[in-house]
Amino acid sequence: MDKCCPRNLFGPLVRSMDREDEVLTTATTQPAHEDAALLVRVQRGDEQAMAMLFDRYSRIVYSVALRVLRDAASAEDILQEIFMQIWRNPAGFVATRGSLGGWLAVVTRNRSIDTLRRKKPTEQVEEMQLPAPGNLADEAERNLMMERARIVIAQLPAEQRKTLEMAFFDGLTHSEIAEMTGDPLGTVKTRIRSALLTLRKGFQA
Amino acid sequence: MNPANHISPEDLPLIALQLLPEQEMADALIHLEHCEACREEIALYQGDLAAYAMTSEMHSPPAQARERLMRRVAKEKKVVPIERPQPVSVAGEEPVLAPRRGMFETETYEEPRRSRGAGFVTWSGWAIAAGVAVVAGLQFHQRQILQSDINDMSAKLTQSANEAAKAQDVLKTLTDQGALQVTMRIPVPEGVPASHLPEGHTAYIADKGSLVFVASNLLQLQPYKTYELWVLPAEKGRDPIPAGTFKPDEKGNASVVMPDLPKGVAAAGFGVTIEDDGGSKQPTMPIVLVGM
Repeated sequence: MDKCCPRNLFGPLVRSMDREDEVLTTATTQPAHEDAALLVRVQRGDEQAMAMLFDRYSRIVYSVALRVLRDAASAEDILQEIFMQIWRNPAGFVATRGSLGGWLAVVTRNRSIDTLRRKKPTEQVEEMQLPAPGNLADEAERNLMMERARIVIAQLPAEQRKTLEMAFFDGLTHSEIAEMTGDPLGTVKTRIRSALLTLRKGFQA
Repeated sequence: MNPANHISPEDLPLIALQLLPEQEMADALIHLEHCEACREEIALYQGDLAAYAMTSEMHSPPAQARERLMRRVAKEKKVVPIERPQPVSVAGEEPVLAPRRGMFETETYEEPRRSRGAGFVTWSGWAIAAGVAVVAGLQFHQRQILQSDINDMSAKLTQSANEAAKAQDVLKTLTDQGALQVTMRIPVPEGVPASHLPEGHTAYIADKGSLVFVASNLLQLQPYKTYELWVLPAEKGRDPIPAGTFKPDEKGNASVVMPDLPKGVAAAGFGVTIEDDGGSKQPTMPIVLVGM
């Protein structure tokens, strides 16, 4: 694994896999390989592979877009745009960068915020390397991850949780959050960072 | 940036969130190009954000979304470049051992020498072939798009021609001197102004079976009811012929234009009845409009 992508980001999950026999480990890591294989097939123009990627990740993409935009039609526009981006340029995402599911979730959020602010789409995150947040290709594991993330977030102090939500899902800058809440800028920044670090630790615990 | 020129820890999540002001973001990106440590930190925060995104309540996209995507995907078919064959490398291969008198000597197998020119000619051949294949693929793709456009336009042209022909028939029906022109009314009760009563007008050419009917001041019906127009044949004993159902708009206006009617049926008059939705094969009394 890449050194920037610590395997224990979703520690308990990964450790529980380690305890299983090798066959199980291979089976659970299979879908991630499948993602890479599907992307290669997409690169060759295989429409069936594209349909499989859509079936696997359309719920994540649509749900994140819907959460940000709160409008079904706009969320579907983002869904279409992102999957067409994969179809047109599958090389834009290289499997070794990490999890396709995680990448899609973050790109969807960014595109949705751009739409919300009527900005030109930003490409910056797509060039970033993401750690693999567990095996999002596997539905059971994805559900487990979601549940765990929700528990960790629910345990955050209310002001941290609210600040992170405003920054991530509403796309408000730290200045805008400070203005809305009346908190100092530094406090807002610290809350966002602390919330994310707590989330990370929650998965490592 | 902090004194060590790294991005401050508080700003790293904001970069991952793409929420830094434009100028600060530009400075940060320049720094990130050269700083692996900060890139790794940002990557960790991206992973955290991916996990946080998963806290959204999950919804399935609309059922048609997949269909729509696959249609778009099919529309943008890819031209897949042909893979070029890799040259076979002989470097590092074991030399061939050949038996000599009483001993083994090593004999190195040498590839027949090829001139640079010959190599260039070989590769340029492949390159030209690949280029031709790609161009052919692109042309095939363009041809398919053009063919599809032509089919679309042809269908639209046929539709327009049909509509124009129908409009021509309507005009002929309305203006033909031989057309039977019938005004349809109901008896006027006393004290009711004639202008507010339902009224219809039919133009009909028997030998063409073409008919245009317009009506005004029609009363609104219950949702499951409809008006139905009837041709009352001149031939005695022949049943009325249904000529289409209609519902009035909010102002009470309605029309039936060129319904499907048999040709050559001379009409003695026309009537309108109220039927259940979908129409009827036999008129249901009373007749609400009639003209003979």
